[in-house]
Amino acid sequence: MKNKSFWSAIAIASMLSASPAAFAADAGLNDLQIAHIAYTAGQIDIGYAEIALKKTHDKDVRAFADTMLRDHAKVNDAALALLKKLNVAPEDNATSQSLETAAAAKRAELSALKGAAFDKAYVANEVAYHQLVNTTLDQTLIPETKNAELKALLTSALGIFTEHERHAETLEAEVK
Amino acid sequence: MQTANASRPGSARRLLLAFLFLTACSAPSVAGAEDHVVEIANMAFSPAEIDVKVGDTVTFVNRDLVPHTATASGGEWDSGSIGAGDEWSVTIDKAGETDYVCTFHPAMTGVVRSD
Repeated sequence: MKNKSFWSAIAIASMLSASPAAFAADAGLNDLQIAHIAYTAGQIDIGYAEIALKKTHDKDVRAFADTMLRDHAKVNDAALALLKKLNVAPEDNATSQSLETAAAAKRAELSALKGAAFDKAYVANEVAYHQLVNTTLDQTLIPETKNAELKALLTSALGIFTEHERHAETLEAEVK
Repeated sequence: MQTANASRPGSARRLLLAFLFLTACSAPSVAGAEDHVVEIANMAFSPAEIDVKVGDTVTFVNRDLVPHTATASGGEWDSGSIGAGDEWSVTIDKAGETDYVCTFHPAMTGVVRSD
């Protein structure tokens, strides 16, 4: 299982044509681009959760997907509220687009699965995706953020997503 | 004796004051209950373990961005969803040790001990 998570992480990272740390390593990302990347990453996980809620019959997987939907929506709402308060708009960028391209392929892959095979693939992807996003937040996005309020929001978000990663890892050991 | 004393206006006032004083003094021991606060912040209950007396109240205050629950593992009590900035209270009516969890985030756990 661990190996699978590892290779999933590598696969996603490869789709982004970079190592996890390089997910947003384009030098000189500005705060509006960072906000866009973080928002996009959240929307992508909401998309995965929506697929899971249509497909899974496992109550623990369903509960996890419900939490992903609920938490990522709240964090993204907070991000939008902050941008509105600052009277700025998030700025689309190559990293957000790469994320979305990789996510579209993953959504297609997940949509073709069902039953236990779907549950396994969904949970393995959640482990890998949260590892990737959390590493990127921790090592790249948060350190590069200039605005104190955005930095604080991303730091809170990282705490939430780290719990998601642990939750997904626990679930991965149970979904066989 | 009381009747006789009470018949004098000054004594009646003193009796009333004494009654009010005794009532005020006895209120805390009658109510007796304390309110304990458990903050939910940074995806953790804080303090994660608390000791209370039977009859005390525990208030869970959610300072995170996302909703949480405080749910006794044995089903004794369940907050349901506590939204960001909201709080929920439970009065502990039995002695013992109760483990609880956030059902949305199973890594978040706590213990209420009561006697």
